[in-house]
Amino acid sequence: MIKTCAAAMLLATAIHAGAIGTAAAEPGITETEILIGDIEPLTGPPALLGVAASIGHKVAIAEANAAGGISGRRIKYVLEDDGYVTARTIQGVRKLVDVDKVFALVGLSGSGQSIAAMPVLEKAGIPTVIDVAPVKPLWEPPRKNVFIVGQSYEEGIRHLVAFLADKNPGKKWGLITQDDDYGIAVHDGFDSMVEPKKLNVVFSGSYKKGQQDFSSEMLQLKEAGAEVFLAGGIIAENVAMMKELEKLNAKPVIGIFWPGRVEPVLKLMGPAGDGIYAVDYVEPFAGEAGKAFLEKAKPLLSEAEFKGINRYTMAGYAAAKVLIGAIARCGKDPSWACTIAELEKTSNVETGVMAPISFGAGVRFSNQKLKIMQADFSSLSFKPAY
Amino acid sequence: MQYLIQLLISGLAVGAIYGLIAMAFAVIYKSTGLVNFAQGEMTMIVAYVAWTISTTISGNVFVVAFGAIVAAVLLGLVIERVVMRPMLGEPVFSTVMVTIGLAVILRSSINFIWDAYPHALDLGVGRHVVRIGSIGVRTGQIAVITTLLLLIAGIWAFFRYSKFGIAMRAVAADDRTALLMGISAPRVHGFAWAASSAIAGIAGVFFAMSYDLSPAMFQLGLKAFPATILGGLDAVLGSGLGGLLIGVTENLAGGYVSSGMKEVAGFLMIIIVLMIRPFGIFGERDIERV
Repeated sequence: MIKTCAAAMLLATAIHAGAIGTAAAEPGITETEILIGDIEPLTGPPALLGVAASIGHKVAIAEANAAGGISGRRIKYVLEDDGYVTARTIQGVRKLVDVDKVFALVGLSGSGQSIAAMPVLEKAGIPTVIDVAPVKPLWEPPRKNVFIVGQSYEEGIRHLVAFLADKNPGKKWGLITQDDDYGIAVHDGFDSMVEPKKLNVVFSGSYKKGQQDFSSEMLQLKEAGAEVFLAGGIIAENVAMMKELEKLNAKPVIGIFWPGRVEPVLKLMGPAGDGIYAVDYVEPFAGEAGKAFLEKAKPLLSEAEFKGINRYTMAGYAAAKVLIGAIARCGKDPSWACTIAELEKTSNVETGVMAPISFGAGVRFSNQKLKIMQADFSSLSFKPAY
Repeated sequence: MQYLIQLLISGLAVGAIYGLIAMAFAVIYKSTGLVNFAQGEMTMIVAYVAWTISTTISGNVFVVAFGAIVAAVLLGLVIERVVMRPMLGEPVFSTVMVTIGLAVILRSSINFIWDAYPHALDLGVGRHVVRIGSIGVRTGQIAVITTLLLLIAGIWAFFRYSKFGIAMRAVAADDRTALLMGISAPRVHGFAWAASSAIAGIAGVFFAMSYDLSPAMFQLGLKAFPATILGGLDAVLGSGLGGLLIGVTENLAGGYVSSGMKEVAGFLMIIIVLMIRPFGIFGERDIERV
């Protein structure tokens, strides 16, 4: 009898331990919750992208939770602020992994920040989907556990230059870029198109990050006779450039890049921004897909959050949706290994905010299809250009 | 020639903004012997307040200007009373560190109180482009240059003729002797912080009208600080003129050399000037630097 009781107790203990063992096999998972972590610039000027991206993650998570969560587990979002400071990004990633013990990561701040965090991510082995700033060092070489949704800056600029060159043959070109990794990527992309498209470049300059007055640069651009101008600023820089061109009565064909393709910029530029071209891989809000996304997001967000939506929200939404989908496909007991394997199997996943997303064996970059858009000042929106 | 004139006008316009902020630095230094590293942030906060007034109360330029100046004065007084006065008599290094801490708090407050988006301060004035031949200048740029020149004249008259201005100079020269003469140093300090905040706020409003309003605007303080050093940290009027010099030099370097030189030119000029006159072009006495 005693032996039977002891055996029963041992069995019960083993079963109990097994049950706990299943739930605690991976960090960030309990019987009722799955933790997804994120670190973004939520303060300072880059908060414009960090806050918007985190809103996109929240939409995807709220949508999944409304549909019952992942195998009955509610997704909990743990968000950290790095203030766009690399040291804080690394510290924040360590906190999310070691202290908060999240199951997976999404988002991950700017390009420099996510590159710097890469060794920590690789060492931890945690499933990660990056969406804010896609740059080559994140996927070349591919890391087993790190996936990137988006398109490279170089490819984006090549697409924009090709479009503008075909539309404006034989014209004189001008370019200005920021003096950082973003600016170098834009410049490299542009340079790779000079020969194939036989571009006549009459002005090429760079500006210091944070510069606010572009009067001498735009005057030089005008004096050089540039007819097509690639404005490589982000937000305030592009606004200042457009206003200077308006003041100088210069009217080149203008192209901007997706980091600056946010609707409030058009309001700031005023009529000077009408007709500028932009390249992006997420849908414009003025299109059907954009409107549908806004409809979906509205009931899931607070009023303040809804006001903070911009293109980064769509990018964040898509990345979080892909990650959640991969975890869900692992069934009742998701593990890091299974989630990474399922992320790798991601094929033509529709998110509604960009072209279908795919990864593959050894392919960690989704290589999104690009679109050209044109600004319409009257409706303060970007509309598909073709 | 038109190219040069356009560069000069644009340089004077941006230099006038630097000049106003530089004067704000100098007002505090002259009265308290302190370099306020939160000057750029105070400039930004006042501009945001002006934008809030324009979008919530009235877009009338006079209402916004009045509201912004009142807010700037209050901001200066509150900072002096709550943050700086308790530091009276403490080592200069500690006091300077307090202004750096204040700068970080004010900078972060933008995201907490407002948002990270850039905004336009549209008061219906200042954006119109006046054309003289092929040279274009915005009315806001004309206004900021005029304002700087008027303030330079006004502040000169204030320090030269008004009783309070003379009291401020006395406190700056020797606060203990001034105290024995019946001058209240805390009152002078309070006035200096209020005046400095108002001058910087005017610069912020002009900048926001000409460019835009964003959380990066605090960097104006970093751009204006060299103008103060150039003009003389204790020379309020010299700092204003230093701003114009820096603005024009930057633009000429950017226009004739390269845009990369634009950032360097002002600092190059400062190094050369300080090697010849260590207390700045218009500075009157040796400055103890921290």
